Amino acid sequence: MTQSNLPYFDDVEMGDEIGPLVKVVSDEEVVNFCEQWGNPMPNRFTDPTIAEKSRLPGPILPGVMSMAIMAQLLTQWAGPAAVKDLDLVFRQPVPHNKPLSIAATVTDTRQEDGENLVECDILMTGEQGERYVGGTALISLPSRPA
Amino acid sequence: MVMELDYDRSLYGVEHEAGPFEVTQDMVRSFSGSIGEADPVFNDQAAAHAAGYSGVVAPPTLCAIFVRRVQLPDINLKFGRTRFHAGQRVQSRSPICAGDHLTASSHLKEVYAKTGRSGTMVFIVWETTFRNQDGVVVADVQESYAARE
Repeated sequence: MTQSNLPYFDDVEMGDEIGPLVKVVSDEEVVNFCEQWGNPMPNRFTDPTIAEKSRLPGPILPGVMSMAIMAQLLTQWAGPAAVKDLDLVFRQPVPHNKPLSIAATVTDTRQEDGENLVECDILMTGEQGERYVGGTALISLPSRPA
Repeated sequence: MVMELDYDRSLYGVEHEAGPFEVTQDMVRSFSGSIGEADPVFNDQAAAHAAGYSGVVAPPTLCAIFVRRVQLPDINLKFGRTRFHAGQRVQSRSPICAGDHLTASSHLKEVYAKTGRSGTMVFIVWETTFRNQDGVVVADVQESYAARE
């Protein structure tokens, strides 16, 4: 990947939209993630019966997995080391096997301690407009070379 | 009205440590694979080296998977019957690459009540600081759990 694909701070304005990134997370991907995470299975993320006992509509995505997917929107936009802060609230259980749309809106651009910072609101929504996960992110971008 | 919360306040100021955990190339690649993260620096050592990193780069929230390895005590909150994972924050301070060894240090950050449409909830926030083998802080992760009546 070359820097030319990535945005410069100078080109970003308040109100700019990032995304959406649309993903469908399969049962198998959640199992693979739980293996990485070290969460003993079966659990409410992988097993319908256990999920039901926790009064969930079905197996859900772990919060850490939702977060990793949301971070991806930002790394794809700004590069692998640009995300400084991602602060999320898990509003509703996130389902497997359904389209998840992740998008962000730039709410502020500023220079602080010599760093170019872009602040945005970020949201993961469902097909029926469910607001699954929301929050804010802070991204550092380079200046356009003179 | 301020609700008087009953929990173990002696936990404030106590650090709970864990690690070191080795961040292996397999771990980074499996994590990237399980979320469909295809950027070469998260998957391929040569690409990561070419971009100036010491090894494949951990996606920004990978360190959050280590939080559950810290043995966090029960704060004995006398409120609510159900608990759920309410929020998570990752502040990245420095890149984490395959080959790094991370240590975690967690403490109770705050406990507070919030009353909204669905009633009162109490939030328990733990903060974990990750350092690498050189003692450099690489990330701070906050996890909040909510207790509901």
